[in-house]
Formats: sequence, C-alpha cells, structure tokens
Amino acid sequence: MNPEFGRNVWLELTPGRMIVMAAVLAFAFFAAALTDGVLVGPAGIAQIGYYLIIVIWGTRNAARSVVGEIRDCTWDGQRLSSLPAGTMMWGKLFGATIINWFGGSICLAVILAEVMQRSGIVAALVQLVYFVALGIIAQSASLLASLIAVGRRQARTQFEIFVYQAVGILAAIVVWAIADPTGSRIGGLPRPDAVAWWGQRVPSEPFLLVSLAVFAAWTLTGCYREMRLELKMRNGPFVWLGFLAFIGIYVAGFDAWLSSNSALAQLDAVARRLFLAGTVYIVLGYVMAILEAKDRVRYRWLGSELGRFHVGKVFAGLQGWMMSYLAAVIVSGILLIRLSLSPLVQEEATIGATLGFFTRDIAIIVLMNMLWRRRGGDFAAIAILVLLYAFLPSIFSSLQLSAAQALWAPHTTDPAWLSPLIAWAEALLVLVAAIAAISLPEERSAANAARMPR
Amino acid sequence: MIDVRDLVYEYPTTRALKGVSLQVEPQTITALVGPNGAGKTTLLRCLAALEDPYSGSVTVGGHDTREAPRAIHALLGYLPDFYGLYDPLSVRRILGYAARSRGIAPAMTATAVDKAAWRVGLADRLDTKAGELSRGLRQRLAIGQAIVHEPKVLLLDEPAAGLDPQARRDLSGLLLGLKENGMTLVVSSHILAELEDYCSEMIIIEDGRILGGQAVKVKDIERSRYMLEIATARSDLREFLEARAGVDVIEADEHHALFTHTRNAAARAKLIKDLLAAGFEVSSFGESSKALEDTYFSRVGQNR
Repeated sequence: MNPEFGRNVWLELTPGRMIVMAAVLAFAFFAAALTDGVLVGPAGIAQIGYYLIIVIWGTRNAARSVVGEIRDCTWDGQRLSSLPAGTMMWGKLFGATIINWFGGSICLAVILAEVMQRSGIVAALVQLVYFVALGIIAQSASLLASLIAVGRRQARTQFEIFVYQAVGILAAIVVWAIADPTGSRIGGLPRPDAVAWWGQRVPSEPFLLVSLAVFAAWTLTGCYREMRLELKMRNGPFVWLGFLAFIGIYVAGFDAWLSSNSALAQLDAVARRLFLAGTVYIVLGYVMAILEAKDRVRYRWLGSELGRFHVGKVFAGLQGWMMSYLAAVIVSGILLIRLSLSPLVQEEATIGATLGFFTRDIAIIVLMNMLWRRRGGDFAAIAILVLLYAFLPSIFSSLQLSAAQALWAPHTTDPAWLSPLIAWAEALLVLVAAIAAISLPEERSAANAARMPR
Repeated sequence: MIDVRDLVYEYPTTRALKGVSLQVEPQTITALVGPNGAGKTTLLRCLAALEDPYSGSVTVGGHDTREAPRAIHALLGYLPDFYGLYDPLSVRRILGYAARSRGIAPAMTATAVDKAAWRVGLADRLDTKAGELSRGLRQRLAIGQAIVHEPKVLLLDEPAAGLDPQARRDLSGLLLGLKENGMTLVVSSHILAELEDYCSEMIIIEDGRILGGQAVKVKDIERSRYMLEIATARSDLREFLEARAGVDVIEADEHHALFTHTRNAAARAKLIKDLLAAGFEVSSFGESSKALEDTYFSRVGQNR
C-alpha cells in the first residue's frame, strides 16, 4: 500500500469516526424517508450530504493535507522521503479525504439506487461519473491551490486554508453549473441537446461528461507537477505545452458561440478560433506570471544559456508563463497574417496593441518581483495593473478624455497604427527595465529591495 | 562528505547566509554553533537540499543540491529544530511509516523499526502512542525517524533541547555510536555544553558567516586537549609546540596555548620536560574539559 495513503488511513479512518459517519447518515436518510413528500426524500438528502461531505468538508481536508503538515512541522520529513511525487500526491489527495469518501460513498450509493430505479443503469452511470469527477475536481483544485501557495511561501493561517478551500468550492460550483446531468441550464443558459463544437453538433451530455473527466485529469496533473516541485524535482516544459495545445483546441472549438457577437461577426471561423485560443493563452500568461516563482538566479541562467544558443537547455527551463506568452504571440501572429488578407485594419491594430500591452504587463510583473522580491512584487504588480486598467480609465473617462486611454490599454486610435506603437514602446521600456533589474549585481539588488516599502 | 562554497541564501527581507564555505569530513561529528539567528538552521536546510541557495554551491556525498536534491535526500537524515510527530499513532507505526517512506521494502520494515527503536531506547514502548510520550522520549522518537533508514549523513538541529541530563548523556552515546557505524553528523546548537561530549569539529557561524572561514578541530578521540600556561611571556611558544612531534596547536598567544596531544602519560611527561628544558616557566598544564567552549570564545573574542 502507498505509505502516505496508509498513514492517512491510520489517522483519519478510525473505527469511531466511521461509526459516527454511518450513524449520522443513516439517521438522516431514515428521517427523510419518514417525511418523504413533505421535505426531501433520502436521495435528496444524499445529494445534499454528498455536496457537504465531499465538497465543503472534503475541500477543507484536501487544502489542509499539505498545509496541515507544514503547520504541524512534519512536512520537511515528508519532503525528504523517497516517495515519488505521484505516490505522495495520491496519498495526500485521497488519504486526507478518506473519511469524506467513506461518507460520500454511502451518499452516492443512495443517489445511484434511486436514479437506477427511476431512470435505469445508464442514467446511474452518468450520475456516478458526474459526482466522482465533481469531487475529484473540487478536492484537487483545493490541493493545487494550497501547493501553489506553499511554493510561493504564503503563510499558513486558517484564513488562507479557507481561501484554498474556497478555490475547490468554486471549482465545484462551476462544474455543477455546467455539467450537472439533472440540470436544465448550462452556465445560466438553457441546456441544449447538442453543443456546437468545431462545426459539429455533439450531444451535450456525453460532451460535458468527457470534458469533466478530462479537466479532472488536468487538475490532478497540476497537483502532481506542483508536488514534484515541492519534492525538489524539476518539471520539463512538455506537460504545460500539452495543456496549452489542449486548452487552445478545446476553447477554439466554441467559435460558433461568437458568431452573434457584433464585434467579431466580421471574422471568419478560422480567425474566430485563433482569437479564442489567443485570448486563453493571454489569460493563462497573466495567471501563471502571477502564480509562478520569479527567481532572479533562474532568469540569469536562462539569459546566459540563451546567449550561448543552448536552445535545448533554455527550452527545458521555460516557465509556464513564458510558454503561454510565446503561444499567445504565435497564435496572435498567425491571426494578424490571416487578417492582413482582409481589409480589417482597426482589428489588426487592436490585436497588435493587445499584444504590446500584454508584453508590458508581463514585464511589469517580472520587474516588480525583481525590485520587491517574492510576494511583495506580485502585489505591487497587481496594484499597477488595477491602476492601469480600472482606475485610470475611469478618471480619464470622467474628464472626457477617453482617447487618452490608448496610452495604457488597447484602444481605437486615428491613425490605427498609433495604438500598437504606443503599446510596444511601453513594452520595450518596461522590458529593458526588467532585464536591467534581473542583471543587477546581488548587493545592489538586495539594497534596493531593502529600501522598498513593504 | 559535505562541501559548501560561497553559499549565499536570502529570505525576502534579509540575507541569512553571506558567502559560507566549509567542508565536513566523513565519519565525524561536527558542531555548528553560534548565537540565535546566526544562520545555523538556514545552513542545515541548505545542506539538506530543502532550500536552494541564492548563489554558491552545496555538495553532499558528491551530489549538488541544485542538480540532484533527491539523491541527497536519499542519503541523509534530518531532525529539524521544530519537529512534529503524529500524536495519535504508536511508536511502531510512526517508525514504520518513516521506514516505508524512506524506501525500505515492506519485508524489511519490521527489522528497521526494531533496530531504530532499540538504538534510541524505545524498544519497550513500540505500542505507546507518540502523544503519550514525555518530551525526552518524543525527541528520541524524532531521532529514530531520522535514522531508521541508516542515512550516511545525519543533520540534527538542536537535538538536545529540552532533554534532561540523563537523556543528554544517552544522546551523546547514541551519536557517538552512529559515528562509529560510519555516519557523518552535523549537530547544531547554541548550547556548547551539550556538544562537548561528542563533537570533534566545530563550525562557528555568526551573522551568516563562518568565523575564521573554516571548521576548527576541537577534539580527537585518540588525543586529548591540553591547556598550557606560562608565567613569563614567550613569543615563540606556538613555534616551540608546533615543532614537537604529536602536538597540534589549536590556539596560542604569549602566555597560553591550547593544543591536542596523545593521551599517553609518558609522552606528556616528555613534553613538559622539553618545555622546562627550553626555559618556559610552566605555571599550569592540564587537560581542558571545555574544549568547545574554550575554542568558541577564543574565536569569537578574536573576531570582536
């Protein structure tokens, strides 16, 4: 048996806790059966119980599985262990939540029995996949959030554990809103029988269930890779590149949903798909640039390897945000070439400006981390981005100076090339500052960091 | 066994290690001493490949901490200053988990658990829950976890904190035994008295730097340490002693000398005879019982 899983079972799945769990659930089902028709039946109680035990309580246990070890001063011992990252990840994810899965299994058995009796075995299997995937996505999202925070040396307060738990609950809500087989809506819209994806009409139920399973697999992969980093292993670039390819193709397939949007109605299907993929890559670029560690030593090493044209080493050392940025640039470049064949000058200018400001923003995040270091740098970068994209537009808009917005965000200008010119000029300026900050001698950079407000 | 070069480590607001270089020979017990906040724990964490240096390199057993941290993890045991135990679990289960997670095969786990429990004196408490153990016994259990897989290098951060005199004595015996079995130990503490019994080398760390730039040999099992005092100042005291066979001077000035010498009584008598014959007015000659303390304050004093 997986030693980590076994240890968790010793700690979490005690006979006393199992008896209490089974007794409480049995009492709840019995009470529901007695009042059937008045409130909810046993299957309804089982659904509520499943969400409470697997999602609400389970995400907390998943969030605590590593953070709790750090709080209890046992994590260093585990990091030094010989357990592979996958063994540690599985052991924690399903070991720390074993009591939840014990209670959840009882609830699930009641739910499936009712569905099978009412709608047959296929409907029961669909429910089984939905509930299991929902639980795995919710709990692994919480574990992933906690592992990312641990890698960033966040504090381990109860509030932060609540935040990691909330990430899992949020993921469960998204899954429930989109993929609940019994629901009549998908993300607030009426649920269609078929989903338009890559020009095909795919039956919505299997499409959603397969999507759910694939996203559950990607969340688990994320946990595995973060666990590798905690155990001081290196992650190569291929998994993230694989994820970028998957998410780009997956999201681009929904181009039909954009056709009614007036701003994008002029684009053909290929351009719309490139637009969707590029947008996802830009979002991922921002998210990863904030979440990943910005290590001066690593950046210097990458720079020196790049200077020696050691392409293989540079490729192996790329971080997620770098690959997302490159993917965004490549897809946007292809989109620009595509648009250059048509007379959509303003759209081309907007894409060029978006790419320029995206480059500037990424450079701001890196620069702030070089100046402030670690967490303080990310907060400073976020503050600057909020200022650029929220406060300044409101101020200038109230002063009737909307055209000035082209100075800090993509905006229509006359002539059209002015907006990308401004964006790329700012991008180059901040990029040079970021590279200079990375190259700064140690003592000076330490002195700069010491002078920065905290 | 351990080679550290120009190690710099930074926390977000402070530079904890400022260019540390040191070597630790195999099968030795090295004391890592210094005041609170000097950087001892940070250095141990870097040695354990738990933290990446800002610059410089750390090599343990031939593996670089940046290049092969997992290879280093496999060959070392580490007792942090603040360690945790799974209180609801028994000693047997805790050691069993430690053994399995450190790569010991299921078939060998029971043997490894029994051996570790015997070594730390917990063989008669295998079925006691960790939460029911006294502080001293918990400390032993934590050490048991660190040695259950027979590591080549053992890093101990304040291992005797909170132990009673008998437990400290037992700890000394245990650590010396581990050294005899081939382990290399680095023991951090800011209480010199507890290191006195078992450490042969000392690294003094202060404000993120190694005082004197290297480890100091403070004790030799085969050789004892002696303190010599002469009534009239002689600038050639160190030179004279260094010229004598078997004498290894640790510290010396015009009035005093601290040196190691064989425990052989005849050799000692000959040394005293040579000193007197050379005109040194020997006013005191005796074995130093506070080797680490003498050396520490001598070094710290030089630095101030």
